[in-house]
Amino acid sequence: MRLLVFASLLFIATAHGKELPNVDLLLVAADDSTLAPVLARLENLTTSNHAAWTCWTGTIGNKALVVTRTEGDPLNAVAATTHALRLCKPRLVFVFGVARRHDPSLRTGDIVLSTAFAAFDGIVSPPAPLGGGTHPLTWHALPHALMHPGEQEIASNSFPADASARALALSLKVAEGRLVEGVLGSSAQINREADRITYLRSVWHTSTEDEESAHVAGCAALFGVPVFGARVVNGTPAAAAEFALQFVAHWK
Amino acid sequence: MTALRLLFVLALCPVARAAEPVDVLVQGAEKLEVQELVATLGPSAEKVTIGPFSFWLGRIGPHRVAISLTGQSLINCTTSTVLGIEEFQPKLIINQGTSGAQAPFLALHDIIVGTRAVDYGMFSTPVRAAGEMSAPLEWKPSSQRLRNKVSGELVAFPRGFVGDPEAIAIALRTRNPMGRVFRGVIGSAHEINLELDRVKWSHVTFAMDVEEMESAHVAAIAFAYGIRCIAFRVVSDAPYEGVPFYPLAARTTALFSINFLENLPPFPSVSSR
Repeated sequence: MRLLVFASLLFIATAHGKELPNVDLLLVAADDSTLAPVLARLENLTTSNHAAWTCWTGTIGNKALVVTRTEGDPLNAVAATTHALRLCKPRLVFVFGVARRHDPSLRTGDIVLSTAFAAFDGIVSPPAPLGGGTHPLTWHALPHALMHPGEQEIASNSFPADASARALALSLKVAEGRLVEGVLGSSAQINREADRITYLRSVWHTSTEDEESAHVAGCAALFGVPVFGARVVNGTPAAAAEFALQFVAHWK
Repeated sequence: MTALRLLFVLALCPVARAAEPVDVLVQGAEKLEVQELVATLGPSAEKVTIGPFSFWLGRIGPHRVAISLTGQSLINCTTSTVLGIEEFQPKLIINQGTSGAQAPFLALHDIIVGTRAVDYGMFSTPVRAAGEMSAPLEWKPSSQRLRNKVSGELVAFPRGFVGDPEAIAIALRTRNPMGRVFRGVIGSAHEINLELDRVKWSHVTFAMDVEEMESAHVAAIAFAYGIRCIAFRVVSDAPYEGVPFYPLAARTTALFSINFLENLPPFPSVSSR
């Protein structure tokens, strides 16, 4: 596994014939309202556009940052993250924003810090004839199988999250809510059926759902870059950005 | 020091490409879907590896091509498509592979030429309290959006992304050595649907003829770049007929893609290279 990670890092450094610049963090969030407080703090701000996606580079304090926007769906999230990871080699990808809860013990304003990420959009339905109805609570999980060197796809129900970033995040002080560890789930879905949410949590062990975090994590894994996520339960973009800025300030 | 480092970052953006451009990027998600295409390039084909993604360079017919093993589903195929476009600057992308039939008339080895490709896995559910179960046929589909480069606005594509008309016309004149060829709608999501009531629902809701996991995502990326794109999908399983997944059907769509490339006229700028 270490060898695979090393091979991926090597790819970042050499794929295009030159060394990629090191930056401290790649920050990833869904929309302008979440990103605005971060961009407002960026000094030496530069914007670059790539097809439908944008990267902002700059500094906050002594940190060199790249920022990109997912548009709140998996496809744009992966495309934007790929572009950012072609431009630079961050020490960490940090994906942040708001989320809906899957874990009923979570309260509004809690901030869930990633122990892992689950892209929970994969299903296989058992065969049923016409008129046999649909039985979504019996569907099987279909994990994403990320491509690995050697043309091997390895399926996993979750993608790993960086433990040192989580430890740092747990040490931060927040004005409201609790800091809670959990699995960040994502898909292009808004789930409001209580029984389906219970089913999703039982299959994927998700604490929350949003529209990009696990897909960003999967993309980061393809590049061999560590990733961490934080989601404010039923929160505001401002609260998510405030936590991200606090994380940036303390990240070493 | 940080400002100096940032200058270094900016100086290296955008990243330079190393590879010579190709005419066509031909994609398959699985090894069986690219095997025949790679073999056609012959033993002198150049292999380029970008991280976990492999590309084989060579010629098929009059075209310089890159054959791309994308890996399955959205995360893999989106990443490899962006890398393939940035690295090889193709004029046309062909996404080809296997699929499950959603239209009852389709049989094993039939090929659907995608008039459009749509992501059918995006939705929001109505509110249902605990004990009220889950009702997928009542879920409300949502649409893939892309940001318009000129207006800066996010634009929704509820019908997905249309296939390149010229490529469709040529594909419909191309021989499928194993079955029939139809124009149709290709649906993409990380799903394998074998409940016929849901298959029928998505066939009616999205007009889908086949379901698979990549074409609509690739088509969205191609649209964002302004690159022509076409998808070919062979029927590898047909739930109405009780035909289980037959992986070797992948060979059919690869052979069809080779025939298509032989029929596709040279691109205007080829001679200037």
